[in-house]
Amino acid sequence: MTDLRDPRKTFGEALVAVGEKNDRVVALSADSSSGSGMKPFHERFPERHFEFGIMEQGITGISAGMAATGKIPFFVAIAPFVTSRPFEMVRNDLGYMRQNVKVVGRCGGMTYADLGPTHQSLEDIAIMRTIPGFTVVNPGCPVEIVKATHAITDHVGPVYMKLGGPKMPVLFDADYDFQLGKGVTMQDGKDVTLVGTGTVLSKAHAAAAILEQKGISVRLINIHTIKPLDRELMIKAARETGAIVTVEEHYIAGGLGSAIAEALAEVCPVRMKMIAVDDQFASNGPYEELLGLYGLQAEQIAQTVEAFLA
Amino acid sequence: MNTISDDDKRFLERKALASRKNVLRMIKAGKTGHVGGALSIIDTITALYFKVMKVDPQNPKDPDRDRFILSAGHKCLALYAVLAEAGFFEKEILDTYGKISSKLPGHPDMHKLPGVESNTGALGHGLSIGVGMALGLAMEKRAEGPGVYVAMGDGELAEGSNWEAAAAAAHHKLDNLMVFADRNRLQISGNTVDVMSYEPLEDRWAAFGWSVRTIGGHDMRTLVETITSMPFEKGKPSCVILDTIKAKGLSFAEDKASYHYWKATPEEMEMAEKDLAEIEERLA
Repeated sequence: MTDLRDPRKTFGEALVAVGEKNDRVVALSADSSSGSGMKPFHERFPERHFEFGIMEQGITGISAGMAATGKIPFFVAIAPFVTSRPFEMVRNDLGYMRQNVKVVGRCGGMTYADLGPTHQSLEDIAIMRTIPGFTVVNPGCPVEIVKATHAITDHVGPVYMKLGGPKMPVLFDADYDFQLGKGVTMQDGKDVTLVGTGTVLSKAHAAAAILEQKGISVRLINIHTIKPLDRELMIKAARETGAIVTVEEHYIAGGLGSAIAEALAEVCPVRMKMIAVDDQFASNGPYEELLGLYGLQAEQIAQTVEAFLA
Repeated sequence: MNTISDDDKRFLERKALASRKNVLRMIKAGKTGHVGGALSIIDTITALYFKVMKVDPQNPKDPDRDRFILSAGHKCLALYAVLAEAGFFEKEILDTYGKISSKLPGHPDMHKLPGVESNTGALGHGLSIGVGMALGLAMEKRAEGPGVYVAMGDGELAEGSNWEAAAAAAHHKLDNLMVFADRNRLQISGNTVDVMSYEPLEDRWAAFGWSVRTIGGHDMRTLVETITSMPFEKGKPSCVILDTIKAKGLSFAEDKASYHYWKATPEEMEMAEKDLAEIEERLA
């Protein structure tokens, strides 16, 4: 049976673990602690948990100031409210000032399926990766969330980490070697490279299995760090398979596919297909159905890859 | 509260004059600059760096130092002028203002110049950063912990983000934090009260939970006595409303919105130097 785990709960437990390891870790909440899995941190380290209410612009600047005194602030809330809303503060106070702050956007993508586009974030990767010096991480399984939380704590510099909301299947063993900036080849293949990230890595993973059954040799790559991108791995995959399909719960503009295309265009351009939401505010409704509306279910991904290769 | 002797007062006035001369030196190099606001806040910054704050130009990253954030970053001529006067960097750097890749951009960059605590320029950022610093420093729970000072423009107060930070400072009882609202009553388009009034400033800051005092912003003794009275009330952040004159010290430019940003003609520069020479004679 598939091992499904709640990404917020998983992150919250990991935050306590990094808090135990490093007493400079502090948690900043915009009335978002219980919703973001930070309640255990609050209970374990009440003196290192700060509540500010709903003021994301203010908290972003506050996190910069705390980092300037040596703290390692984690600012966690619903993804659009820590990215697009306080963007200028993120750009200037964290990016330009190079502050060691970890911005975590939870319930990203279309998690808030029924609440509609105000609460969805399909542009966060795009805007956050424009900021010089920012690391952008999009873990694709609960094990990866834990490993990424430790890795971004150890990394000195501003980070954006995107988390989904619905339970995610475990795709990696506990001893899996996670390194920021290093993509992971989950399965080798020669006909096409299928690249997944974040919440829909599992869909790409399932699509690869469907395609294998149909006799298509798929190289499956997990890009958990969109910035800095593992260019070497992607150039190698482009050279060896000649075709790339990307899968992400994000807009086509500026996301994983975009980042890979930028990396390949000058060095090794190959045909690409980007499976993502194209230039529209997403609709509303049940989450899995919404993914289906934009071709992000495994069967649909497999069909798109087949058609792309035909 | 600390008061100062007549000699100390005169010393600070001379330092403020030297800093105003540094401002002119930069304008001469770069031809233009945000002179109006720089000269309304420069006396406060002088008092901070030469009498109030624990800072060491030889060790600008000392973790125990007091912090100053110029939220209204366009007034950076004043900050650069005082930092140079205090010895944070060589005065020759002042002559690079306006030059390619100068360490003195039109808004301050902490990674380019020692002594700059924060990158500011976009308005409505500095107070949040100051709240974070005050909170981070308060976590150390030292009896004589460092203080954090944030200077804001009165036009800047229209940015809503300031009021998020103001509420957070009071909620978290940051009595190691002081804000200066530089009320020169002018912004680029005209009178602040006509553009977007946040008056009465005293009532607004008090309503947000701050302990507020209003003083004249060009008198050194009042400045030192007021700043060293932080916290005005235990458990509350302190707000100083500074009644100031835009472009203070340049007779032809004082209290005129048109000198928010100054494109200095040679004739004006001559007048400016004459004005400062007259101040120097008075202080002799």
